[in-house]
Amino acid sequence: VMWCFSQVKGAIDEDVAEADIISTVEFNYSGELLATGDKGGRVVIFQHEQESKNRPHLRGEYNVYSTFQSHEPEFDYLKSLEIEEKINKIRWLPQQNAAHFLLSTNDKTIKLWKISERDKRAEGYNLKDEDGRLRDPFRITSLRVPVLMPMDLMVEASPRRIFANAHTYHINSISVNSDHETYLSADDLRINLWHLEITDRSFNIVDIKPANMEELTEVITAAECHPHQCNVFVYSSSKGTIRLCDMRAAALCDRHSKFFEEPEDPSSRSFFSEIISSISDVKFSHSGRYMMTRDYLSVKVWDLNMENRPVETYQVHEYLRSKLCSLYENDCIFDKFECCWNGSDSAIMTGSYNNFFRMFDRNTRRDITLEASRESSKPRATLKPRKVSTGGKRKKDEISVDSLDFNKKILHTAWHPKDNVIAVAATNNLYIFQDKIN
Amino acid sequence: MIMKGQKRKFPPEDVEVSDRCSPTWESQRQFVFSVSLSKYQRGQELPEPSLRRSVLIANTLRQISLEACRAPCVEREMSPCSSSSALQGKERESAFSEVTAAKHHSAVGFTNSHPALGSCPVPSSNYLSNCATNRCPASYHLNTSDVPLSVGDEDEDWGSMSTDPDFSLSAAISSILTALDSTIDGSPQAALRTPLRSLENLSRPSEGSMAGVKQGVRGYGGSWEQHQQQEEEEECRMRESNMEAMRSSYLSDLTVEDLFQDIDTSLLERDMGVLGFRGSGGGYPAGDDLLRYLPPFSPSSSTSSHPFSLSLNQNLKCLPSFSTFSPLSSSSCSSPSLSLQPSSPFSGQNHVREGLELEHLMEILVES
Repeated sequence: VMWCFSQVKGAIDEDVAEADIISTVEFNYSGELLATGDKGGRVVIFQHEQESKNRPHLRGEYNVYSTFQSHEPEFDYLKSLEIEEKINKIRWLPQQNAAHFLLSTNDKTIKLWKISERDKRAEGYNLKDEDGRLRDPFRITSLRVPVLMPMDLMVEASPRRIFANAHTYHINSISVNSDHETYLSADDLRINLWHLEITDRSFNIVDIKPANMEELTEVITAAECHPHQCNVFVYSSSKGTIRLCDMRAAALCDRHSKFFEEPEDPSSRSFFSEIISSISDVKFSHSGRYMMTRDYLSVKVWDLNMENRPVETYQVHEYLRSKLCSLYENDCIFDKFECCWNGSDSAIMTGSYNNFFRMFDRNTRRDITLEASRESSKPRATLKPRKVSTGGKRKKDEISVDSLDFNKKILHTAWHPKDNVIAVAATNNLYIFQDKIN
Repeated sequence: MIMKGQKRKFPPEDVEVSDRCSPTWESQRQFVFSVSLSKYQRGQELPEPSLRRSVLIANTLRQISLEACRAPCVEREMSPCSSSSALQGKERESAFSEVTAAKHHSAVGFTNSHPALGSCPVPSSNYLSNCATNRCPASYHLNTSDVPLSVGDEDEDWGSMSTDPDFSLSAAISSILTALDSTIDGSPQAALRTPLRSLENLSRPSEGSMAGVKQGVRGYGGSWEQHQQQEEEEECRMRESNMEAMRSSYLSDLTVEDLFQDIDTSLLERDMGVLGFRGSGGGYPAGDDLLRYLPPFSPSSSTSSHPFSLSLNQNLKCLPSFSTFSPLSSSSCSSPSLSLQPSSPFSGQNHVREGLELEHLMEILVES
């Protein structure tokens, strides 16, 4: 697959407003819509335009469909804390009617948004004037029935449900269940199961908070529902373990059904072994047979039937292993990278530093490093593979480890569910790349 | 890629050294230890620390302490565990429980006002128990029996995260710092150290104790004879708190007068009378007066047997050093039940160091 540039969204200037930093990216089930959330609490939804009939060999573009303020900054008066409005995750619901639904969450509150189109307007009301004022009753001499007239398309977003006050700690994941009725939300210590219709209560299904907080050594970092089995979900921890739970087994799933952990390689042990083993993202494959986890230096693919080790391990930026001390100092070691599958589960993608992102083909075992930058942003320009030189002589076009910009990190990426179209969030810019169609 | 304000003591080799016997490993370990400690503390000062980050840093601290105990090729007196006797371990544990008992009271007081603190784990229990058992790191038995549970843990949805004061962190950090002292100071100075006393392991104040002391300080009254014990306790806690106060913004809430309100001025009054200085009635001179009175510290004054300077020395000895975590200066802060001993042996070197620290402290207090 040859990847080429398609579009970039977002401001160009070097001065990045903190509120514009993209914090989550997600395609919907059909790939028609692409949602992004940012630190300012806003959600921007892009829609895929139909390919133009004149040039069918080009994929259509994504254009802004709707923008709305999902979360506002809040103040917790009880704890004297400000609750950030940053959108941590967006998850789409499967489409059931003309409207689209998505869940968006910040640290504490989850909201269900309905995005609907309005392209008709009723005109000719009996009792009202066109501007809405009530007509003088004496002037009404005959009955008239309103008629629907076309109007400019208007996309409205309205909050339909607000799921609040269920999380003491910061929400890191939400995941819609395959039954399309429930979803789970996970914070550092607990996972709750919600019904989409019920906002005033949720079931707590996992609680790893110890009786004495001083004994706390592990937190939940990500959670996801199984794509087909509505009773199964997984959650990952800061110690590099994944637990698969079956909700049929017990009401409280503190005891896992499966426990996935790779034994540590003693030769690579360092002071930072635990920190780099912390899993930042977990994603089931579309097939439901595998799951993928991202820790600081690698991506691992696990077979759900084998708990003692992953079936595949891909090194994302192994050249950073010798730099862990510096990365610990500047806090980069705590960055949480996400990962994603392609539609057919044959390839996986994740981000790195210097606006690099990596893709691994599971079949051919080939990998590629690409860069999201304005320089390589000519329309339909093929992206040039990048390489980081690990030592010794630096070849031409290679970049040395010390020249990497650790402020330019790609934490959020998304892959279209069907086509080879990817969305890559680089700080405040959203890049859309697609494969070259001949 | 260094953070702002972070000074590197040892330039860390970027390649991780796995050989424990090499000095590079040790320097790396110390470096990571100090970085971790400052990260942890800085993270705790934030209004809402990230739990994941705090847990990871605390686990790293714990692991580093563990590796220090486990290090096989220790030639000099590096590891605190190797030098620790069972006595020290016992002392630590008793100090730990005393301190936590003391802090528990203050923790109760402040729960409502400082909610977002200390929901994070500490390396304390494991570290202490490991060192006490002298390099038996395999089992992590927790020293929880001595630790009073945090207040308000039952009402979890309301403030579970907020009502877990990390009072044991202070003890942990102090003991960790003691370990750091012994490693960083190296052998020549280590030989000069006074034998470790439980005093050394007294906690660094958490924000909780600071606020608790605030309440204590403001509400305190009465003659010193009746409340001498309490007074010393308050005073020392206050002194410790100053350390944290420097780093947090709490100092802005306190006036110099508040800080000096609980000084054991009985001796001071007597001495001031001797020297012709009149206090402003009530037996508690204003803070400014006291400051003015403080004699300039120089090596020569250290040898003076002036009664005031000696008692003041002891009163102010409780103040930990700001520049380095020197064991000598932090050594004498008493736990609540210990009384100040005028006859404790101090070499001239101690006085000099304390003198410099005292000046430094005074500068900071006055500036604030």
